Amino acid sequence: MIWLGWRQQRTETLIAAALLALVAAILVPSGIEMAHAYSRDGLSHCLGFNKAGGNLACGNVIGSFEQRFSKYSSLVDWFTLLPGLIGVVLAAPYALELERGTNRLAWTQSITRRRWVTTKLGLAAGSALVAATALILLLVWWRQPFVRLDGRMDNGVFDSQGVVIIGYTLFALGLALAIGAVWRRAIPAVMVAFVGYFVARIFTDIWLRQRFAPTESLTWRPANGPDPARLRHAWVITEGPSDKFGHLLGAGKASVCAGPGCPFPGPPNWMHAVFVPASDFWSLQFTELGLFAAIALALIAFAGWWTLHRE
Amino acid sequence: MSDAAIRADGLGKQYGSNWALRDATLEVPAGSVTALVGPNGAGKTTLLKLAVGLTRPSEGTVNVLGLEPRKDEAELMPRLGFVAQEHPLHSGFSVKDTLTLGRRLNPSWNDEIARKRIEHLDIPLDRKLGKLSGGQQAQVALTLALAKQPDVLLLDEPVASLDPLARREFLNSVMEAVSEREMTVVLSSHIVTDLERVCDHLIVLSHARTLLAASIDHVLASHRLLTGPRGGDDVVARVHNVIRESHTERQTSLVVNANGHVYDSRWEVHELDLEEIVLAYLGYRALEAVT
Amino acid sequence: MIEFHLETRSGVPAYLQVVQQVRQAVRLGILRPGDQLPTVKEVVAQLTLNPNTVLRAYRQLDLEGIVEGRRGVGTFVSEGAAPAPPDDREDLRPSLQKWITRARSAGLDDDAIATMFDDTLRPPAIARVA
Repeated sequence: MIWLGWRQQRTETLIAAALLALVAAILVPSGIEMAHAYSRDGLSHCLGFNKAGGNLACGNVIGSFEQRFSKYSSLVDWFTLLPGLIGVVLAAPYALELERGTNRLAWTQSITRRRWVTTKLGLAAGSALVAATALILLLVWWRQPFVRLDGRMDNGVFDSQGVVIIGYTLFALGLALAIGAVWRRAIPAVMVAFVGYFVARIFTDIWLRQRFAPTESLTWRPANGPDPARLRHAWVITEGPSDKFGHLLGAGKASVCAGPGCPFPGPPNWMHAVFVPASDFWSLQFTELGLFAAIALALIAFAGWWTLHRE
Repeated sequence: MSDAAIRADGLGKQYGSNWALRDATLEVPAGSVTALVGPNGAGKTTLLKLAVGLTRPSEGTVNVLGLEPRKDEAELMPRLGFVAQEHPLHSGFSVKDTLTLGRRLNPSWNDEIARKRIEHLDIPLDRKLGKLSGGQQAQVALTLALAKQPDVLLLDEPVASLDPLARREFLNSVMEAVSEREMTVVLSSHIVTDLERVCDHLIVLSHARTLLAASIDHVLASHRLLTGPRGGDDVVARVHNVIRESHTERQTSLVVNANGHVYDSRWEVHELDLEEIVLAYLGYRALEAVT
Repeated sequence: MIEFHLETRSGVPAYLQVVQQVRQAVRLGILRPGDQLPTVKEVVAQLTLNPNTVLRAYRQLDLEGIVEGRRGVGTFVSEGAAPAPPDDREDLRPSLQKWITRARSAGLDDDAIATMFDDTLRPPAIARVA
């Protein structure tokens, strides 16, 4: 049965591997380039310096580094779709079997239906895990210089670090398996699942994550010195001028401006920020992983149950 | 009566509001080659799918070799071979891959039987299934079912879409397998002529109902054609067990299930061949079910 | 070696056709005592026939003493199954000719003669208990 599962997954496994190879082809050369630039330009000495203030030389070095590699960074931001793509591709063999009815051939051999379902779903999930891990390794390695500079808590970076990609890939897989099991038309199911993945990711990034993240608040006087250490490399959800009790004045982010058009002449007396500190990276990662993985496992189990009980 | 390979009792299957099979109570004797005939939609595929466990009964029970198809799946399936109507083979697989599938999924698989059959049929091992002819695909599907050496073989319209030569070759293969090994075979078809020389038992289904289930010898011996001068409804009503009646201006013909009955001397009695008997049953409206 | 053929529309059951063909072959000397009949498998392959039907035919021939089965070896024409002696056969033809002449002078045409012959050879079965 394992032989049969692999044999049927052959094409899709190759597609997933090809996607990863493509990713590697983009990331490896540029990653090496960035790592070289990082050490050669002595950027490690500049960490901890605020771009705007502090050492001017460091500011220039950091600025030129970012300018040089920002184009890669924005390309790699699109890679956030990859877990979804890989997940739905690996779900395709299962859905195709149900669509064509070839599962009935296996069911009239001597293995039980239950074993067929668990083996196929297990292989798909296992492959998804391996692919997700490979993707994580590539992305984490690639992004190292930027992470050292800007941290890894911001939206757009957080989701390519740590372990959440495993959850995303399994979620996309589970969604495609569940839709494919019920609908029995593989290509539409895969496409709908991919859209579903996309929507879920946006929803999480924009709305959900900040609601289950362990946020902290801080009110401080900018005049007292540099920004609080706790804010360094944190995920800043809101930040702005406030009164000394922390109630925000006006809306949105801080803008230190001087000049006649400014709402507040000169730097504000107090600033308030709601944020998730960098030290919470792993707990937030595992929370989000747990959420996506739990939903994924429920979807995969549903797909199996539906297949077994449909007829 | 452990002599029945398949036993159905009040078996029925409903899809939505539509009964595909209703109230089927019949036996398939062990070692027989049974023809399962009826028009499309009569319930033949449903009956076979119930027997092989691909679907569950809505009412009643079905037993194969004394086992329940779903519940005793692990014990029954190695002994039960099935060739589905569409033979859902993986068209991207080569013949060799398909045999590997059989070997991996069946503990009772005999690889030599499988390879000998394929060789004998001149089917190249590395050809993709999608590139084989209909007849060759059917033969590969049959090989899959036969190589695991089943005790019961169920074939659902396996030759429906084949040309006469491929049909004959397929049935020939089945008969050869039966001569080599004690096996119960159920062969469904809507073409009756193929089946008379191959089968010794007959089940007729129509509109989800079982019209007839008996050995072919018995069917031929018990059914007769009565012809006589034109008679009205009262005359026909007096005749025992009429299956179908037809009238011309001067003559009335009745197909009857005589079964030992002696008829009035106004009737001339003739024998019938199997196809004529089956057709008489199929012209029969399902609502007037045979007792 | 004898080759069987089957007439599906003849109304004669398959096994009986096989029996008749073997009888005929022995009568005509095509099959001689000691000759082996085709195996069940060979007949099945030749005619696409149910193996049980072949077995039934061979059993019938065994009962009639025309053939005998030897376990593990095959089915063979018995020693006692001799073709009909020519004189018996030759005697049949003139008496048949005489009968035909009588039937014609009684007014029967060829069809009526054939019908009477068929009916007498195979009497229409009044439904008998199966």
